[in-house]
Amino acid sequence: MDSARSAYLFLSLLQARTGSSLISRLGDLPPEEVPRMSAEQLSRAVKMTDRAMGIFDKLRREFDPDRVEKELSEAGVGLLTPVDAGYPERLIGMVDLPPALFVRGSLPGGPAVALVGSRKASVTGLGSARRLGRALAERGACVVSGLALGIDAAAHEGALAGGGTTVGVLGCGIDVVYPRSNRGLFSRVEGSGSIISEYYLGEAPLAWRFPARNRVIAGLSETLVVVEAPEKSGALITARHALEAGRDVWAVPGPLGVAECRGSNRLLADGAGVVWDLDAFLDEVLPEAAGPYPGPQGGGANAALPEGLPENEARVLAALGFEATPVDVVAGNSGLEVRELLSAVSMLELKGYVGRDAAGTLVRKPVD
Amino acid sequence: MSVCRAWSLTLLGIDALPVEVEVDVSSGLPGFSIVGLPDTAVQEARERVRVAISNSGFKFPTKKVIVNLAPANLRKEGPAFDLPIALAVLAASGVVPATSLERAGIVGELSLDGGLRGVRGTLSMAEAARHRGMQRLVLPEVNAPEAASINGVEVYGIGDLRQAVEFLKGDRAVSRTLPSGDGIHARPPETREDFADVAGQRLAKRALEVAAAGGHNVLLSGPPGSGKTMLARRLPGILPALTVDESIEVTKVYSAAGQVDGGLVKVRPFRAPHHTISTSGLAGGGSNPRPGEVSLAHHGVLFLDEFPEFSRQTLEVLRQPLEDGQVTISRVAGTLSYPARVTLVCSMNPCPCGYAGDNRRACRCSASQIERYQGRISGPLLDRLDLFVDVPRLTRDELRGEEPAETSEAIRERVAAARGAQLGRQGEPNASLAGRPLRETCRLGGDAEALFSQAIDRMGLSGRGHDRVLRVARTVADLAGSGDIGLEHVAEALNYRRFSLVDG
Repeated sequence: MDSARSAYLFLSLLQARTGSSLISRLGDLPPEEVPRMSAEQLSRAVKMTDRAMGIFDKLRREFDPDRVEKELSEAGVGLLTPVDAGYPERLIGMVDLPPALFVRGSLPGGPAVALVGSRKASVTGLGSARRLGRALAERGACVVSGLALGIDAAAHEGALAGGGTTVGVLGCGIDVVYPRSNRGLFSRVEGSGSIISEYYLGEAPLAWRFPARNRVIAGLSETLVVVEAPEKSGALITARHALEAGRDVWAVPGPLGVAECRGSNRLLADGAGVVWDLDAFLDEVLPEAAGPYPGPQGGGANAALPEGLPENEARVLAALGFEATPVDVVAGNSGLEVRELLSAVSMLELKGYVGRDAAGTLVRKPVD
Repeated sequence: MSVCRAWSLTLLGIDALPVEVEVDVSSGLPGFSIVGLPDTAVQEARERVRVAISNSGFKFPTKKVIVNLAPANLRKEGPAFDLPIALAVLAASGVVPATSLERAGIVGELSLDGGLRGVRGTLSMAEAARHRGMQRLVLPEVNAPEAASINGVEVYGIGDLRQAVEFLKGDRAVSRTLPSGDGIHARPPETREDFADVAGQRLAKRALEVAAAGGHNVLLSGPPGSGKTMLARRLPGILPALTVDESIEVTKVYSAAGQVDGGLVKVRPFRAPHHTISTSGLAGGGSNPRPGEVSLAHHGVLFLDEFPEFSRQTLEVLRQPLEDGQVTISRVAGTLSYPARVTLVCSMNPCPCGYAGDNRRACRCSASQIERYQGRISGPLLDRLDLFVDVPRLTRDELRGEEPAETSEAIRERVAAARGAQLGRQGEPNASLAGRPLRETCRLGGDAEALFSQAIDRMGLSGRGHDRVLRVARTVADLAGSGDIGLEHVAEALNYRRFSLVDG
């Protein structure tokens, strides 16, 4: 491993153990020098606590870049440092850029939009996140989020449903699945984009690692959308990082008097962009990808039907809008018997033309 | 001869056992005692019998009177022994010929003026009487129509003690009560609750039709006011008509609970206990055991509204009846069982506030609250549910242009045909299929198999979900009169899987 790369890796492992950023304090000192210095020399250049010096000494004795590389390649994890070609350009300008990123899957290029929000989001908030994730994916943007419960998961789900790319940034070791209930989502995100983390194999999801991970989410994207966030939430930390890094911050307005929306509403009061209409938002954020978005506002029963469907399925699809429609309405519109209708719906669902939500309503899915 | 015998009957579970009532009148200090494991109500018979005999114009012997209830090891409960004790005492003092008590079963509670009050369980008693070769049954007038439903034993309804004495002496004719003419072979009586009155909700109606045909248990999920209860109430009306044997069984349960008003139960029961019900209220039991709601719903529908609100412990007792079709209750005094073969219909809101997924009212629950709420139902119980149906709240607009809905009777005909096909093929409803019989009965053709494996991949069906879809597909095919499970049947069955909740 070349010396610059190994030095960044060293810095990364050091930061992950001390819990404080060193790279932002190096000033003129080249990172390559750091592993060669003694604890005292380094402490003279950048102020360090005794604890941090102890950790530094220990790591310097143990550090073996070749073994790390071997372990990573066995785990199927890639390593990117600022001197590597694949390192995300958007991160380069950051003061506190991650010295190393561990990557599973492949980092997608193109525009990237971060969607963040509360873990305990309302169903309405989850719906918004899913819709935004999907609309962004359909317009070719990569959806960046944190693979947590609630809004994060919904944003990733939306992007996957829209057939787009998505990136999940972890606050724990690159091979650790946290929270456990998201394990299915983890593998799908890896398949359609990538999972990245600053933390080495097996590192635990410690509380301080999540705010630190939020700066990576903000740094990786051009635009940040906060869907639903209470005051004092991780999503607001992400928004602060995004503003510091010069990104556009948007928020979805929430109802009055709901604690879970106070943080995001506050952002709006402070001048964040208002996501009041999906099309208006997309046109603003992704002007080059502008085009008719076949979303809930447009389309409907008159949108063109795919060719070659059996008669019953075509009738169901023609009777179905892009907004959530109860089975009864579809039955009425299509004139089919319920049992015929239900068979057709399952077939369409498997073919990917129809989706259904938890309340038993049907939605037509746009297929390109 | 101073020992006289009469025969009576007592309930154990829903079945009756004969009890011999022996009375000995001997000289000695006047007294009246009852032995043979009597409970308090039987002990108190002493006072009722003594007073009733005097008030009916007879003389209670001023001698030592001992009553023995045999077999002595069986605990005797309730006031039904009043009449046989009184008659045996009168026989011992020569008022009634002792021979007239032979081959007769006697039950009835006495009031102080000698009048007779009804007792519970007389249908089972009549059945036991016939089985034991008793010729006639003498019981309170109010119970006569119920007991007369059993052929093969003469049933005489009596108004008071005096009438009973005159009847046994042959001084007075009492006409035998005959079974009421309206058999249960006819179709069930018109109920006011018909599916024709329910506008919309075609998915739920279809699901209930499938449930009725295959005996599947259902979970209805939807916001308040969407019509879950209304739909569930109409399920008994589309179940196949009760057979004679089923009707007798159901009546025995109601008789044991003291809830029969004359004749056999002819309509499939619908029981909807409140969610505060106790464990023994649901399963049956108590120190004086009575059948619980799950047995009162035998051969009918048990509807548990607000399913997650029931205490977990209470619901756990449902596991045995859903598995075996009966409830076994163990008490110090012994073990007894009640039949409990039910179609279970549960309803729940999708979240604590009730409006998750509703398009007109915003839900105010957090994701974790919803997860917790839905997680309250125990896994083993969920395994017994085959159909998961979302019942949305419909607006007037969405209901407009509905053509009149199908009547319950039309649905019932399809259900009966499908159920007949199942019983002919495997001798049990499809809902009971599991393991090897399931795999043998539910073979899929090429197309259907391909679709099914695609669905397993794309929809993430679990092992349990897999079996459920197969069972339901079998019923859908039976409803269509098809011997093989086709593509369209599997496709329809996929609609009834579980969505928002933890497993597929």
